[in-house]
Amino acid sequence: MAEPATDLTLDSASLLAAEEHEVSIVGRSPWYLAWRRLRRNWVALVSLVVFLLICVACALAPVYARHLAHTGPNTVHAGDTVIVSGKPKEVIGGGSHYDAKTNKFIVAAPTYLGPTWWHAHGRFVLGTDNLGRDVAVRLLYGGRNSLKVGIGSALICALVAVLLALIAGYNGGWVDWVISRFFDLIWAFPVFLLAIALSTALAINGFHHFGISIEPGSLWIPTLVISYVLIPYIGRPLRGQILSLREKEFIEAAIGQGAGPLRVMFSDVLPNIASTVLVFFTLIIATNILTEAGLSFLGAGVRPPDPSWGNMIASGQDQIQTAPWLALIPGIAIVLTVLSLNLFGDGLRDALDPRAKVRIER
Amino acid sequence: MLAFVIRRLIGMVAVLFAVSLLVFIVFILIPGGDPAERMAGKNPTPENIQNIRAKWGFDKPFYVQYVRMMEKAGNGLLPGKHSEYDILRSFDTRQNVAAEIKKGIPATFSLCIGAGIIWLVFGILVGVISAVKAGRWSDRAITVLALIGISMPVFWLGIVLRYFFAETRTWFPDGGYVPLTQDPAQWLYHLILPWFCLAVLFIGFYGRVLRSNMLDTMNEDYVRTARAKGIPPGRVLGRHVLRNSLIPIVSLFGLDFAAVLGGGAILTETVFDLKGVGWYAAQSVGGLDLPPIMGVTLYGAFFIVVFSAFVDFAYAYLDPRIRPT
Amino acid sequence: MTARRRGTWLLGVVALAAGISMMVAAYGVAATRSQAAPQANKVGTLKAVLDTVDFLDPQQAYTGQAWWAMWNVYETLLTYKHVDGPAGYQLVPGLAQSLPKISSNGRVYKFNLRPGLRYSNGAKVLASDFKWAIKRGFLATGQGVGFYTDIQGAKAYAAHPTKGGNISGIITNNKKRTITIKLATPRGDFLTILALIFAAPVPANTSTAILNGTIPATGPYRITGYDPNRGFTMVRNKYFKPTKYIPRGNPDKVDVALIGDANAATQRVISGQADYSNAAIPPDRIATAKSKGQLVLRQTANTYYFWMNIREAPFNKLKVRQAVNYALNRGTMQKIVWGGLGQATQNVLPPTYPSYQKLNTYSYNLNKAKQLITQAGAKGAKVTVWARQVTDSVDAATYYTAQLNAIGLDAKLNTLPRATYYSTIGNVATHAQTGWARWLEDYPHPLDWFDVLLNGNRITDTDNNNYAWYSNKKTNAEIEGLKKSQVLTPAVNARWAKVEKEIMAQAPWAPWSNRVFPEFFSKKMGCIHVQRLYGIDLARLCRK
Repeated sequence: MAEPATDLTLDSASLLAAEEHEVSIVGRSPWYLAWRRLRRNWVALVSLVVFLLICVACALAPVYARHLAHTGPNTVHAGDTVIVSGKPKEVIGGGSHYDAKTNKFIVAAPTYLGPTWWHAHGRFVLGTDNLGRDVAVRLLYGGRNSLKVGIGSALICALVAVLLALIAGYNGGWVDWVISRFFDLIWAFPVFLLAIALSTALAINGFHHFGISIEPGSLWIPTLVISYVLIPYIGRPLRGQILSLREKEFIEAAIGQGAGPLRVMFSDVLPNIASTVLVFFTLIIATNILTEAGLSFLGAGVRPPDPSWGNMIASGQDQIQTAPWLALIPGIAIVLTVLSLNLFGDGLRDALDPRAKVRIER
Repeated sequence: MLAFVIRRLIGMVAVLFAVSLLVFIVFILIPGGDPAERMAGKNPTPENIQNIRAKWGFDKPFYVQYVRMMEKAGNGLLPGKHSEYDILRSFDTRQNVAAEIKKGIPATFSLCIGAGIIWLVFGILVGVISAVKAGRWSDRAITVLALIGISMPVFWLGIVLRYFFAETRTWFPDGGYVPLTQDPAQWLYHLILPWFCLAVLFIGFYGRVLRSNMLDTMNEDYVRTARAKGIPPGRVLGRHVLRNSLIPIVSLFGLDFAAVLGGGAILTETVFDLKGVGWYAAQSVGGLDLPPIMGVTLYGAFFIVVFSAFVDFAYAYLDPRIRPT
Repeated sequence: MTARRRGTWLLGVVALAAGISMMVAAYGVAATRSQAAPQANKVGTLKAVLDTVDFLDPQQAYTGQAWWAMWNVYETLLTYKHVDGPAGYQLVPGLAQSLPKISSNGRVYKFNLRPGLRYSNGAKVLASDFKWAIKRGFLATGQGVGFYTDIQGAKAYAAHPTKGGNISGIITNNKKRTITIKLATPRGDFLTILALIFAAPVPANTSTAILNGTIPATGPYRITGYDPNRGFTMVRNKYFKPTKYIPRGNPDKVDVALIGDANAATQRVISGQADYSNAAIPPDRIATAKSKGQLVLRQTANTYYFWMNIREAPFNKLKVRQAVNYALNRGTMQKIVWGGLGQATQNVLPPTYPSYQKLNTYSYNLNKAKQLITQAGAKGAKVTVWARQVTDSVDAATYYTAQLNAIGLDAKLNTLPRATYYSTIGNVATHAQTGWARWLEDYPHPLDWFDVLLNGNRITDTDNNNYAWYSNKKTNAEIEGLKKSQVLTPAVNARWAKVEKEIMAQAPWAPWSNRVFPEFFSKKMGCIHVQRLYGIDLARLCRK
């Protein structure tokens, strides 16, 4: 361990998997063995199912909105009434009002339609927000945005990090130096501050440089910002792993046989780090969903009126006394999603890690 | 040793330079926010906007602006008399950025040191208990709890804590900060919820890292040897297992602690209305106020760089196999 | 409600895991909290909470909160009465001995300073200090300088302000205590402009740097210990002598805490840590606030509106603009944006103005709106709605966007950071079609509305305040003509009402709200008076 401090990432659970891999995988078909181990870990499997169900539910948001809730994520029903259990109910009732005769205001808190569950035949299942929008519909659409950002940024982040780590770890020398310093630079930034600064700055006019054009309200902004700031979290440990792989005989052998650098990288190095990348990828989706929520909470992520779980919590905060579900429900959705990803990622790591067996049996 | 310090110092300056340049470029390259127009107010005259541009140097080429900004930051930091426009000032409040950061430090440090102690103590406790009871129900329960802690958005936890414990029931004050020097009891009382909120994530995380470290260490040959020699299990655990498993925790703690001290607890500070450095950063970002963003970023980067050097050093001390390089 | 229960469960478990010991410690602390009982009928120290102030420098501050405090600190030549209701708009002498003599052409104003005036540091208030204050505004690139460029020689001075430079239109005599102001062009609202705190005299050669609260005061209080974002204190100015119009003030001291978090601010009053908070109480806390303290609704002159850029399609068509006006259910909007604490409006001017005549042209009619859109051939036209990233703006604009879609336009919302919003939509290059805006009065005069916001002659390519780019030869000429009227007589007011009606017939705006601000007091406070312009009258507050 040449750089002890820097080798540890925020996600050191997954890092441990990476370290353990330095002891090379023995066995004819590690992937099969891993699957066998994973199959026995019901917590991980249930978590995977939960996560996939959440994904499917969010993907089906438009279907739900059109056929069951009969509304859109930004459709305002402020003045409407809804039939709940056969009785008409105002979507938003109460509130202060101005009495023109006395020229005075009669002060009262507004009341919001709470969760109707199925008593309104699919409308306002989780109640309404302060604009009279259907929370359930927004939750699904919001989840779509949160997951898009979370998974998209994890993909980009993993892709870029793997590429950089491959180039750095394989070539060594000055290439390695440059890439490592790039990692150091991002690493030295207060991550969250960098992310909000970048997103806020980009939110003004979008980004129109180098032939890339991103509109200011685009989901690409949080996606790219998050993936950018988290690159070293994957790139650094991978680079370490590749550096040590580089010393291994089979790589030397491949090079000795005249395989080109590209071939060595992709057919010899990449398969050996694939399991680490997979674990990282799962866990970093979880991190990214949380980061996106934080950004949106500060107004630097998904832009209103488009929902995301983060900005739903932020706007629900103002109604927490009269409509606590507005802030609580999206938070619970985040916890469920992130928890399922973390549990699955854990299981995946245990499964891909040969030493985990010892651990479980003892 | 000296070489190590010098190398680290050079590295630190280089990183701070690169960080400042990056922040500057982000805000200069991305158009749309001419600060002079904002500063002129809602009833501006073209002459006034021109005067503001000239006084603040917005009409200069960007590299001149960058150098001036760094110079001003230095002036703001160092004591001595400087004129109005020779100090790095916020576009919005025109306050000295360095002074404002300094003012946020007590709140940020109070939050971070308290939360740091809590998360370290409870993190280790959670880790040790779950490692010792590995596989039992108590380990499983703690693991699930730890994972729930990790999976909660910190701001949401803050909102929920405030709602249940400061608003629905008024057991705790609803946000705000009281300086320690003013009233120690109130200081503590105001910080309990934020401490807890910030610590939860780390408790779960540290507990899990420690647990797997300890399980790995328990399998090491020297631990088995010690056990075989008949040393009491408690002593084996304390002397051999825990001591060695704590090494990575030290480095993790150093970096995480540096991040929150450096204004990384933006969300916690915002949710609990603690006017610390992170809160200041959030305010400034919302107002696209470049000087404070620059100031806080440099301040945060400084902590991260210093602490990572410190961590490397501590590492070498704890693990004699490693020498600082 | 399951959501709530699940949240409680989650929390309970986590709380348990982290240790009950902390909770126990907290109870100990809670029990030792003590409250000093205030003396009855005497205000003593008033503990106030404001959400924010920008500056406490008379030449720089441009927010209502700062003006609220500084109205009692930095006196101007003319000021407003400490009374409730419409009389609060009446100008009265402040530092001046009497209202000025105005020449018949409306261009020369002559003032006499009251004798024996002193600053809070004991120095004499000189006539030349007024001139310095105006010059200081330009030198310090203050936000209010735009109001004073009509003074003779001010335009030239504004381009290159120097300490030694001169504004020829201001002639002062310290011995005779006279101030003569000459205008380059007559301006009917000039007296109100002199009453702006921007024009408060400051000691000669006060630094042009921003001095928050450290400039010696002329009013009943002076400011000490300003700590940005945290608070400041107002204490009595021992050199101040009350006049017929400026009372001594009841509180001996005002401790102001600056708390941006509205919940925390409200909580302070409820828990008895503060006597007064001006933070906008979140709608969901209104009921609690009402039962635990005293809620006072302050009507101020403000109009929240959506502008439609008449240069950009589809809003270049009158029918489209009218359709939008018909499409808004203004009553619903009050409810969803401020929990009902606003008055629906279709006027440019707020109802606090003497020239206000309620317009009732565009009552909510979605079908009519749809028809108008079809007639105009604007069905499916793409529209970008602009809003500022603050809650009320985004909420209102979300509703607005939904309504535009409901009447057949193809609208999407684009929100901008609060700092760059106005300069972006006020830039001709943005080609912004429609969006959210609001106007809060600077001074009570229709010119502050029509001239700034809707006079086509004042359109600029950048930092334009006329977001609708509204220009109409007839109304422009009428506004220019009314600019010369010195006094708001009923006849002048009637002409303003006519201008307003003509403009709204062209529908460049869809005004929707005159917001009222809930001000929150503890149950111990009494004598709560609202001054129309400056809000809660600090000087007259008392304890029950």
